[in-house]
Amino acid sequence: MSKLAEFRRRLIQLGRKSKVDTELAEEMRQHLEMKVQANIHAGMTPQEARFEAQREFGNRTRLQEESRELWRWMSLESFFRSVRYGLRVLRKSPGFTAIAILTLALGIGANAAIFSVLEAQLWRPLPFPDSERLVEAHLVLRERSRQWDVLPVRVFQAWRSESHSFTNMTGYLYPQNRNLTANGSSERVHVMAVAANFFDTLGLAPERGRAFSSDEEKPGGNHLAILSHALWQNRFGSDPGMLGRVITIDGESYSVVGVATSSLRIEYFYDEPAIFVPLAMEESKVLRNLYAIGRLAPGFTPEGAQTELEAILQHQLKAEAIQPEPTAAVSNLRETWTQFAAAPLYFFAGAVALVLLIACVNTAGLLLARGLARQREFALRAALGAGVGTLIRQSLMESLLLSVGGSAAGTVLGVWLVQAMSTFIPDDMLPRRAPVEFDTRVVLFAIIISIASALLVGLVPGILASRVDANRVLGQNSRSFTAGRGQRRMRSTLVSIEVALGLVLLFGAGLFLSSFIRLVNAPRGFEAPGALTFHVALRGNDYSKPEQMQRYFRQLTDKLDSLPGVHEVTLGSGLPLAGTDLWGNVNVAGRPPISKYGLYVDVFAVTPNYFQALGMRLLAGRSFDPHDDAGSTRVAIVNRNAARELFGTEDPLGKVLEYVAAPGRGVPAEPPVQIVGVVENAQEFNANELPFEELYVPFAQKVVPSAYALLYSDAPRGTLSSAIRAAAYDIDKNQPVYDMQTMDERIDESVSGARFNLVLVAGLAGVAILLVAIGIFGTVSYFVEQRTQEFGIRLALGASPRKLLAHTIGQSLLTGAVGLALGVATSLALGRLLRHALYLVPHEHTGMLYGVSIYDPLSLVCAGGVLFAALLLASYLPARRATRVDPMVALRHE
Amino acid sequence: MTKEALSKKAVLLPGTLEMLILRSLERTGEPMHGYGIALYIKQISKEVLLVEEGSLYPALQRLAIKGLVKAEWSESETGRKARFYKLTSAGRKQVTEEVAGFEKILEAMLRVVQPA
Repeated sequence: MSKLAEFRRRLIQLGRKSKVDTELAEEMRQHLEMKVQANIHAGMTPQEARFEAQREFGNRTRLQEESRELWRWMSLESFFRSVRYGLRVLRKSPGFTAIAILTLALGIGANAAIFSVLEAQLWRPLPFPDSERLVEAHLVLRERSRQWDVLPVRVFQAWRSESHSFTNMTGYLYPQNRNLTANGSSERVHVMAVAANFFDTLGLAPERGRAFSSDEEKPGGNHLAILSHALWQNRFGSDPGMLGRVITIDGESYSVVGVATSSLRIEYFYDEPAIFVPLAMEESKVLRNLYAIGRLAPGFTPEGAQTELEAILQHQLKAEAIQPEPTAAVSNLRETWTQFAAAPLYFFAGAVALVLLIACVNTAGLLLARGLARQREFALRAALGAGVGTLIRQSLMESLLLSVGGSAAGTVLGVWLVQAMSTFIPDDMLPRRAPVEFDTRVVLFAIIISIASALLVGLVPGILASRVDANRVLGQNSRSFTAGRGQRRMRSTLVSIEVALGLVLLFGAGLFLSSFIRLVNAPRGFEAPGALTFHVALRGNDYSKPEQMQRYFRQLTDKLDSLPGVHEVTLGSGLPLAGTDLWGNVNVAGRPPISKYGLYVDVFAVTPNYFQALGMRLLAGRSFDPHDDAGSTRVAIVNRNAARELFGTEDPLGKVLEYVAAPGRGVPAEPPVQIVGVVENAQEFNANELPFEELYVPFAQKVVPSAYALLYSDAPRGTLSSAIRAAAYDIDKNQPVYDMQTMDERIDESVSGARFNLVLVAGLAGVAILLVAIGIFGTVSYFVEQRTQEFGIRLALGASPRKLLAHTIGQSLLTGAVGLALGVATSLALGRLLRHALYLVPHEHTGMLYGVSIYDPLSLVCAGGVLFAALLLASYLPARRATRVDPMVALRHE
Repeated sequence: MTKEALSKKAVLLPGTLEMLILRSLERTGEPMHGYGIALYIKQISKEVLLVEEGSLYPALQRLAIKGLVKAEWSESETGRKARFYKLTSAGRKQVTEEVAGFEKILEAMLRVVQPA
């Protein structure tokens, strides 16, 4: 309180500064007058009186200043003084200032950019009220300890009705691509089936109309739709009369009962859902991709909720006499929805932080070199009474100014980087489509790292500079003093650190490059250059019977075959790099089961020429032929991986596989199949994956509602694609063709993430090596300049220029070698630490590195070599100057 | 100024000047200007305590910053404008505390110094 009052008084005085001055002067003048009068009174002559009074009073100006100073904020005033001084100093050496600011700008800008990405993608709360209280609940398989994408409806309902940890619990199915027909045109949109209280739980009631009620969760009562705000706006022109209107989704009618608010944006899936429909809950069903969302009740934690859900789950499983295999897991909804991007983003944040560190070390080195050049100045100021604190503060001030300049430039650079990044970041790498932008938090972060950089950059040179021995420096009448031992050692240490950090980044870039090369050249298991592919998914009442689906695909094949220029057409329920929707669990007939549920296999239903058209090599047996139809023996082909898993080294041909029906896991019963062939593994979802176990069955023996077509044609792409669309439209105008891509495009897409990673890491490594080179160049230049005189003497005494060159370069290579050793150690340690984040986890599609060891010696040697070359070049250029010293000039200097 | 007085003046304990100023203002009970305060201390202390202008004015500023005194311009006895210092209520409280504290120390010192 009294401090506050004091502050106010000081502030008032500050406002009337000139008045305070005159008042003090006046007051003292008065005082002096009174003294003079008193002296006269005591019998002195006026002159004596005045002289005596002034003598006693002392230095009036000084006293006035002292009194006035008391009112000021000393620190504030001297702060501005050092700002002014610092600016003057920096202006005097524009080259140094530009390099330092540019260096810091690169570091700070890149960090601000990556921070804004992390903030917008991972940390920003979901756009729902109090969204951090939202959690997702799912099952985890004990045997594999990873998320299981299946949830029995009964368990979900038990959770919802029996748990007390939540104020609200709801569920949703992963959004599905479906066909919307309205106002006479069709398009593919993402439809999300949601439980009744979905909107309640998220806290966003529909803007118009109503949410779904709980009776509408029952099968049959669910032909209702709520439109997303965006769809309502863009597709229906914000038509207020949409409520009650009927739209067609996959040939079935849905009446619109509501429009969601614009804040209900669910952008964490491949495509944002445009329509919400009620989730039909059939008690007996096990739904794939059903997830529960709960809003934690006040006072409950996710851990507490997990314990409760686990208890309910185990109770359910016991009641149904199912062995307890899965356990319940509860996790923050935001983290769950964004987690797939977390590892790579944090990895890049780490790499970018390294660049900033290099930039700081670099600038510190440059400042140190300059500090040496300014030894005389510092010594002089110390001799004139500047304290150690003042000198350190001066050094800090200069580095603060540099980093303020750097962060201003860096922020501009960051904005640009973010924009550049958002154009070439692959779509599926980031969870949110929310624009990455510079908000106050990013600016705050930039300020914080600027200050941290300033401290890092300015402290060491400041301390060293303040230790200057004024006598020694000033005693020498020339500028030929050399660096103190401590300074030289500090300088080498900084360069070594820089080289070490640079090596870590270069090694990382080497790993990514090596990984990318391996990925591009990895055996894909198929070869289909020039083949065009597309997807059709049959929906609606017209395709409720198997014959109807089969007829459609037969017609489609015929139509495609008859298109001009087309020479091969094949169909499959899936494609390499596109995956398949079918799966099953199999055991070998007449043998003890492999495990309780058999072997999990991905199933592809394919036409006879599938393997030939895709260039997939048959390893044994035969391919399918037209006789493998609905009426003949059911046959199958396994891929190499499945053959190995099921039979080891035995011959799989002729063996029979039985499907294990597991209703509890959503796996239907199927008749057994006989193996007639083995085919090579092909990449199923991604280039960076461990091969999956696959089972191929004839298209004629397995009815599927959705299939990919692949065809070769001489016709140009544009003509061909419109011909295909026309053909499909002819057969059934309600079944759109989508996901049309050539196989080459699919391959390209499958390595696009890796390419992006490579570009990013390589870019960072490039910046790092540039910074390291600048740092070394600066050091060696400095070293040479400082020892000009010494070199002159040596040359005069007959040293060969070549020897001087070798000596100079040798010094910096020694420093570099220490840095390289340090860098290798750091890289290997970091690699060990990050191994789990960098590599693929079996059966999942994440992983940043492919086929390259974290200790890859080739990358390490290359990184070291590149760095060494940069070192050599950066020291050679300035070192050459050493040999050109004119002994006469150098000595005359003295 | 005698040599004796000079040596006496050096005895002034650090930090006591501010207390002396406050106490003087309290005892006279009316506003005083700087010269008046210095004169008053000199007289009351029988010319033992001589307050240098060099310490008086910084001390007055410190007191003003702490809000213990308030300065106002008004007419002096000689008809000139002068800055008069007045005790604030915070200053009054402070002086009571400080004097009490000072007396305690003084007593203690006397007990040490006096012969038994």
